[in-house]
This record gives sequence, structure tokens and C-alpha cells, in this order.
Amino acid sequence: MGFSYTDPDIRIQLTDNAGLTKYERDCAGKKESRYLGHTFSAIHILPVEPVNLPETLTHFLEISFPPLLISPGAEQTIYLKFPVEIGVFLESGGKTDPLDVFSLAPLKFSLYGSPSSGVITRWYESDLSTGIPVTDLRREGVMSLHIKNSAAETTTVSRAVFDSTGMCLFYGDRVAMTATMEILSPSIALTTFSDTAPADCPNRAIDLYRIRGFSITKRKGYFMEAGTI
Amino acid sequence: MNVLGLFNLTLPSATDVESTVTSDNDFFATVSPRDILIFFVGIIAAYIIGLVISHHIRVRMSHRLKKDQLDILTGIIRAVLIIVAIGISLPGLLDLSVTIILIALVAIIAIIGVSSQKVISNMVAGLALLYESPFATGDFISTGGVSGTVVSVRLFSVRIRTTDGVYVHIPNDQIYSTTVSNNHANVARRFVYSVGIRYQDDVKRAEEIIGKILEENSFVLKNPAPAVFVSDITADSVVLTIRAWFPSNWKLTQDDISLSTAILPRIKDALEAAGIEMPYAQRVIWFANQPTVPADTTSKQG
Repeated sequence: MGFSYTDPDIRIQLTDNAGLTKYERDCAGKKESRYLGHTFSAIHILPVEPVNLPETLTHFLEISFPPLLISPGAEQTIYLKFPVEIGVFLESGGKTDPLDVFSLAPLKFSLYGSPSSGVITRWYESDLSTGIPVTDLRREGVMSLHIKNSAAETTTVSRAVFDSTGMCLFYGDRVAMTATMEILSPSIALTTFSDTAPADCPNRAIDLYRIRGFSITKRKGYFMEAGTI
Repeated sequence: MNVLGLFNLTLPSATDVESTVTSDNDFFATVSPRDILIFFVGIIAAYIIGLVISHHIRVRMSHRLKKDQLDILTGIIRAVLIIVAIGISLPGLLDLSVTIILIALVAIIAIIGVSSQKVISNMVAGLALLYESPFATGDFISTGGVSGTVVSVRLFSVRIRTTDGVYVHIPNDQIYSTTVSNNHANVARRFVYSVGIRYQDDVKRAEEIIGKILEENSFVLKNPAPAVFVSDITADSVVLTIRAWFPSNWKLTQDDISLSTAILPRIKDALEAAGIEMPYAQRVIWFANQPTVPADTTSKQG
């Protein structure tokens, strides 16, 4: 079964080679090649949670953005960019298996909290906007983040940390996520994902963490207990 | 005197003991095949029950306990079940009274206690390690001059594989009574390196180059931010200290050497490409009787 996808940055190719199918990928110079020992009925190339590269180092995503002041009781929806990782899946016998994950987005890690009780995060810096920004869907997705301040004090927010085990990724004309951050106190916030698809992104991506069996139960959200700045 | 009165048991008289303890010849005459069958069936049943309980514990507790803890817990449960099965079926097999069994048990425990202090000490230390969990299988630890990856944590000992592939077996009481450094206990670790540059080199430029390399490295954590600063001015060089945090569970932070070989050569190459070089050792030597060369002696002689 032959297949080929090529753009200026990405080349994916499946070729028959002496009875075996050879998979080759070149993503901005990062190459991957392997033979497939089984047949398959379909290939899917979809966005996946941006926490899978270069290995499973963390399942938290941290987005840093310019400081935003939120007064008590106020609510604000902002749009942030997040890195996109691309997964290649093979479908055979009604089962979908991951074959490869790659990304054009820069890779950087950070520590949220202290070294003893904190978490390693996939870190990404984003601008903040109140309208949907234009992005290259191969590199960046757009997150709609609804921030609600339930605390009694005015709070500054300049980062959001998410647990990818609850992530709901959608794609269409762009890659999108919808999330909520509820500020419970100036130093504690709860981040959750919505599983409602945006109007222009009707397709739900495959949850890679489920396929790989990293988490049996989907988490309700993540408590940011190390501050929102 | 009835020393076992607390348990409402009476010690048998000498004649009772004589009548209870049978000779070797009498043993096979008094023990029926049914007793032997019950004994072995009891042991096998306890073993199977132990396996079933262990399986259920592993399924239900695997998300709460580490593999080492599960191994030790299930091992203890299986051992207790076997001992209970022996304790129940043995009196019937040997036709012994509970009193005799208790006396024998106390004697055996006393003998084991005296002769196997080290073994018991290791076991108690193993239980303490199990409870405190200072490390787990897969962690890179340093203890008592040994550094390596923990292969297994058992009731009596810990097994470590060093970076050069040597298998080290350390009794638990040694580990429990000494300092243990665990590279993976925290999610992030800080590494410190020193780089010397020449006096005539631009310090700010060197700091910028090193800072850029750290910024470009995906695994140098954004927070806490890396730092590069002049930490010493020695006879030969200006010393720059580099501090950077990395994820502990990254493959290159398993040991210190892997990370050094990944980071330091890049810093050296980048500094040299910018014309900043590592200094050679240099000394200015002063002679006590400094030889003087008369000025223009040849013209006077001439």
C-alpha cells in the first residue's frame, strides 16, 4: 500500500519494499524510518496532545503569556497558542495504533512548583489575544481559555498548567482546544478542558494517552497550587 | 510451674511428653497416608490461595504501591499463609499437642533470633525501606561508595547495577544505616559546571554565548532559569560557573557523565568559534638575582 505526503517541511512516505511496507518521515531534517510487519487498512495523520516528544517526560502542558489582571468575580475569555504534535496512526482490524509522533514546534521544558513537589511541564510561550489568532495548523493550535476569578482578591495570571490526560483536541481549519481556569485564590487555580467541539473544528483527535494506556481514568482537571504568575 | 498459664495451657508432664514423642519406627506406623495427604493438600492449598490473593492485590493496588512494595507485600502474605498451613496440618500429621508445638516454636524462634541477628536486622531494615521508600526500582542512587541503577528492592537486600555493568548486592541494614542519594527522588536536578576563559576574553560575550546554548537546549528548564556568572578569578583564568536545572527522569540525567558529555563539548565549540579560548596554565617567574644585561656594551668595547 503506497502513500505519500509532502510539503516544504514534512515528507511522509509509505512504500512497498520486498513484501514489507517501509515508513519514512522527514520533519524539518528529523528523519525516521522503519518497516511495518503487518498490513493496515488506513493511515491517519492527526494532531495529538503536545506532550509526547521526545519521549514521555511529562503529561503537563504549561502556557506562559503576558500578565493579565482579573478582578474578583470577573470572567474573561482569551485565546492562546499551543504547540502542535502530529501523530501518524495505522488502522487495522478496527484497531488504531500509533506509528510515529513528530513536531515542527519548538520544544522546551520547565518546572512548575518546587523540585520536590512540583511537576515537569512542556513549556510554551504565547501571545494573548481576545480574537482567534491566525496560526499554521502544522505548528500551533489555538486554545480558548475562559478565566473566572472566584477569589476575593484581584489576581494576576501569566501562566496556565494543564494535565494532558484530560485534554480534548479538535481539528478542522485549525487545531483547537477549549479550557477553563477558575481562580480559587491568588495562588491556586483549577484548569479543566471542555469536550465540546468549536464550530470550525468539528473533528475530535485521537487521545494518544489512552491508546498508550498511560491513564485509565480521565482526570477532572489540574490544581495549580504553585501560583498563577 | 505453669509458665504458659497466660494462654490457658498447661505444660505436659514428663510421661505425657514421652508418650507424645514417638520414635522413628513408630512414626510411619502411626501416620496414615490420609494424614500425609492432608498435610500436602493443606500446603498446596495455602500456596494457591497465596497466589490468588497476590494476584488480586497486584491488580487492585498497582496504582497505589510501587512494584518493589507489591513484591514484598505479596511475598509476606504467601509466607504467612504457608506457615499457617504448616501450623494447622503438622500437629495432625505428627500427632503433637498444641503445647509441644508452641514450645518448639519458642525454641526455634530463640535459636533463630540468636544465630540470625544479621538476617533479622536486614529484614527489619527491608520493611523500614519498604515503608519509607527512599528509592524504587529504576532509580539511580549512590550509597556507601556505590552508584548505580536499582534493579530490585527485596526483603533482605537491594540489588544495584553500576554504570559499568557490575551487579552489586547490598544488605538492607547497610543501606538503612548510611546516607543514600537518589537522583530521581525529585522531578528536577541542578547541574553545575565550571568553564575557564582567558583574561583578555570578553566575559559578557562568553556569558551570552553560554546562555544562548542553554536557552536552545530543550531540556534546560525554563524555570528555574539557568545562570552563568563569574565565580572565580584564578592565576590562569576567569572562571565562569554554569547552573542549569534538568528533568530528573530524562535519560541523560540518569548519571552525571551522560549530561556532561552532551552539554560541555557544545559550550567549548561555541566559545572557540567566537574566538574565546580555554587558557593554558601560565606563570610569571621572578629570579632572586635578576641577571642584568648592560646596555650597549658592544659599542663601549668597540
